[in-house]
Order: sequence, then C-alpha cells, then structure tokens
Amino acid sequence: MLWETLSKELVFSDLDVSKRDDVFETMGSKLVGLGYCKSTYIEALKNRELIFPTGLDVNGIGVAIPHTDPEHVEKNAVAIAKLKNKVDFIAMATDPKDNITVPVSVVFMLAVSGGKHIEFLQRVILLLQNQQALSQLVNASGPEEIINIIRKGEMENENL
Amino acid sequence: MRIYKILSACGTGIATSTVAAEKCRSLLKERGIRDIDVIECKALEIASKAEMMNPDCIIYTAEIPLKKLGNIKTFRALQFITGIGAESLADEIAAYLKSLDNK
Repeated sequence: MLWETLSKELVFSDLDVSKRDDVFETMGSKLVGLGYCKSTYIEALKNRELIFPTGLDVNGIGVAIPHTDPEHVEKNAVAIAKLKNKVDFIAMATDPKDNITVPVSVVFMLAVSGGKHIEFLQRVILLLQNQQALSQLVNASGPEEIINIIRKGEMENENL
Repeated sequence: MRIYKILSACGTGIATSTVAAEKCRSLLKERGIRDIDVIECKALEIASKAEMMNPDCIIYTAEIPLKKLGNIKTFRALQFITGIGAESLADEIAAYLKSLDNK
C-alpha cells in the first residue's frame, strides 16, 4: 500500500507557497533529489500543467494531481502536500484559456514511470476518493499525521 | 455479441486515462456489458486514434478537440477520477452503448 512506501521526506504538511510553480518546484525538487525523477521533471511538470491541467473538485475539497510523461521519471512515487493557503489550479479536462480554476488544498504529485504503475495510480485515486481521509488531510498537522491518515484511509478502502 | 470499443484519453495516455478506463470497464461489467475493449491514448493523438479505431464512444480526462471527432459520442469522465457521480456516468455510457444495438 502507499503508506508503506511513503517516506516522511515526500510528505509536506502546511506547505507555505503562494503559486503553482512554487508547488512544482518545492515538491518536484524533492522527487528529483531522492532519485525518483530526472532533473527535467520539474520543467516538464510545469509545461504539462499549462496544457493539461489537473485541478479536481472533490466534493468541495480542491485536489491537484500534477504529473507528466514517464521519460522524466525513474521510478513510481507520489509526493503529498497539504497547502497552508489554497493555490489555484486550472480544472482538469477544461481548456486552460477558459481559466476555470479550483482552489487547491491537497496536492498528490505523481511520478509515473510507465512500468507497472496502474495499481499504484489506482491506490492514489482511491485515496482521493475517500472523502473522510481527504477532509482529515486538510486539517492534518505534521507528516506523521498525514501518513497515519493515509494508512487508515487505505485500510478502509481495502475493506470496501 | 458485439464488442464495444471505447477510447480513453488523457494528457499522458498512461495516467488518469488508465484509471478511468479501469473504472469504466468494471462499472460497465456491473451493468451487463462485458465485451468491451478500452484503449488508452494521449489527448494529442485522439483524432488519429479515433479514425483508426472507430470507437463506439470516447471518455476523456484531458481536454480533447471535440470538433475533430465528428459524430463520435464523447463523455467527460472526471467522475471516474473523483468517484463523485461515477455510477450515474456509467449508467449514461451503458445506456448509450445499448442504444447502438437498436440502430
């Protein structure tokens, strides 16, 4: 499960940023620094978000799942952040020109390597579909609590 | 029994489209539609893929050029990602696919 592989280094509580690019740089450099992604990942992430945005409104909680092509990734990983202040992302599957935004509180940054990644992706998506876990994440303080919420959320999902 | 062909598109062709495809497959199965072929693709390749594959419908989680897709029925499928409204979207797709048999 995700929580088992989630290191505290990839979990950000109260990430204090004011714009999207800061989100990409702070979380992305961690993924690059820990060897999950190549140095090209951050730029690729920014460019991808401009064309194919990833903001999602999950029953009133703004979630973004930025990701990019597998050639910028070494191995599957997810970095998770709870943002101190909401940051606007463009809504997924809309034309960026229409500027339909979602105020995002939780970011799941995906590093998708293209190999056996479907199960891993489904776990992340199941987690964001877990309303209870998501609303707890928004109020979490500290990486340990975030990992704990994810652990519980995944246990519940497993029992569905 | 015919096999329904569905094209699932997202930005990378390997991320949200695969999750949407899986969800679509299992929800359609629950609705008695078992013979389906769901192919994932990149949003940028959708027009050429659609021409090649001639799908019964398209589901998408990234913006696609709807005007270039002619008469192919399309469904915006964020419900399969957020989970909210997934059942009713599956109802809609299932009803559409079943309606094709009567034509």
